[in-house]
Amino acid sequence: MSSGTSVGKLGSVAAVNDPVNPVYRQIRDLVYKVSGIFQIDDKLYLLADGCGRRMKHLGVRTPNEYWDRLTVHANREPELRELLNELTIGETCLFRSQPQLDALRKVILPELVQDKTKLTIKRLRLWSAGCSTGEEPHTLAINLLEESQGLLKGWQFEVLATDLNDRSIEVAKAGVYGDYALRFTSDYIRRKYFVPADDKKLKVRDEVKKLITFSRLNLRDDSKVLFMKGIDIVFCCNVLIYFDGPAKQRVIEHFFSNLNFGGYFFLGTSESLMGLNDRFHLIHFPGAIGYWKPSLKSGKL
Amino acid sequence: MTTSLQDGIRNRVQRIESTPTIPTILLPLLKILKAPPESVNVEEIVRLVGYDSTIAAQCLRMAGSPLFGLVKPPKSVGTAVLALGTRRVETILLTCCLGQAFSSRNWPLDPSAFWRHSLGCAMVCRKFSEKLAGADRERAYTAGLLHDLGFIVNCMAFPREFGEAVKAARQEQIALDQAEQATMGFTHCDSGRALAENWKLDEDIAQVIAHHHCIDETESSHGLVALVHLCDLLCRMRNLGYGYYERTKADLVFDPAWGVLQQEHRDLDGVDLVRFTFELDDALGAIQDAVSSIFTAGAALSG
Repeated sequence: MSSGTSVGKLGSVAAVNDPVNPVYRQIRDLVYKVSGIFQIDDKLYLLADGCGRRMKHLGVRTPNEYWDRLTVHANREPELRELLNELTIGETCLFRSQPQLDALRKVILPELVQDKTKLTIKRLRLWSAGCSTGEEPHTLAINLLEESQGLLKGWQFEVLATDLNDRSIEVAKAGVYGDYALRFTSDYIRRKYFVPADDKKLKVRDEVKKLITFSRLNLRDDSKVLFMKGIDIVFCCNVLIYFDGPAKQRVIEHFFSNLNFGGYFFLGTSESLMGLNDRFHLIHFPGAIGYWKPSLKSGKL
Repeated sequence: MTTSLQDGIRNRVQRIESTPTIPTILLPLLKILKAPPESVNVEEIVRLVGYDSTIAAQCLRMAGSPLFGLVKPPKSVGTAVLALGTRRVETILLTCCLGQAFSSRNWPLDPSAFWRHSLGCAMVCRKFSEKLAGADRERAYTAGLLHDLGFIVNCMAFPREFGEAVKAARQEQIALDQAEQATMGFTHCDSGRALAENWKLDEDIAQVIAHHHCIDETESSHGLVALVHLCDLLCRMRNLGYGYYERTKADLVFDPAWGVLQQEHRDLDGVDLVRFTFELDDALGAIQDAVSSIFTAGAALSG
């Protein structure tokens, strides 16, 4: 999490707290329009923080001047991408969104198990698309393992984890994390699914790793993405923000066809599909938002 | 529901009405709220509020909350009326009165969760109706505030039976109305309706109280009932529920209530529901503050 210190240095606290200076809300609205990421008022300091780092880098002195950089300057589009980078940097950690994980374990898994109960092969396949350094797929695999003696007893399950960046995938495969990445991971989970590693870090146990298949995949590569079939749940957090409208639409279309009927799709916790696909149903879970590909029997296709 | 059960609920509700903790100004205020806006006399409201200094003070504090649009509390009820308009001040007063109306001692339901949900739903109903051309925002607020009135009846008139329902709902992580139906044979919608009849609330509010969980049984004011149904669901999905995890999901756009509301508001499909949800999260802190300052104080005074 960003500290409040740098916000203070930039003088953005006053701007955020000052309802007559709407520049950060303007930037918030612009970011939402372009990327689907929405910063609630309580987290506007994160936006101010990110803007501050960019302003310092560019030598821009005021938030209003920076607004011009994002809207009328010749380099506005690259600058917006840089700002998006700043907003999502360091967000990754294990067990990042508990409401999403509660939705997975308390609502979705029971529903999928019920739907598939008559199938001869009892199998679940989750996909972490844009898995970065592996925090998300490891979290998903641990959650599935937690259900392995209960709801998922007798089921096969796997997590496919893909990313564009080879280096990220290597880090993900190693599965070694420090305190920052583990800040939301309970002692119970640490003891059960991790072993000590160098530099006071923790390494994911093999029983978790063997559930995950890591591979390099460019989500823009239609021919490869087409092969990701039979998926029950897709997690694609803070990845689509880097795609322009048509590319984003295509990837979402792929996710829709990659998913089994009755499957679910999750974006980042502050991210919206922005109406780019009207075949997905917007679903509210307690504290989380997801998208649903209607099941055949629901009659809602 | 059988006639004898209906009579049983009515009898117990009548006993609640005579409870001495209801602020003197609540029932006259409800009467004023029924009158057409153009016939409301501002002086009458100011005089009414003058009878109860606690409520007057709370009303001013509430009017100064970001939830109601003023940056700082107004100096008098008259000033609040000038700044916010008669109808909004009426709804603020109603909110404050209700917070003090009932002793929450020994409630089976967490009173602060109840008030948080009621005020949250009121705010969300108003915010949502702001997105719909021609919708009556203050009416939506009142409907949201009062929709679960039946829980108060159940807390006060059926504490043992309702206690069992609350326990079952928490344990099984199901909706309270489902648990009520299973353990008591009726829900807060039935008992709320009995109170609405006793208090002679407007029929549209009575419809909301009675049918917000079963909109296909609505007899009139379909749009308002549908709006409250959707906002109630949304609140329960965004940390404004009853303080426990509900193992459930909501497909709001494909909920029958969405279709009903759409018939009255063609612009409904233009609402960005995801952004609205995120914006709702913004109001959580202010709602909690309002509940703490108004209802907790009110409960302490009357409890």
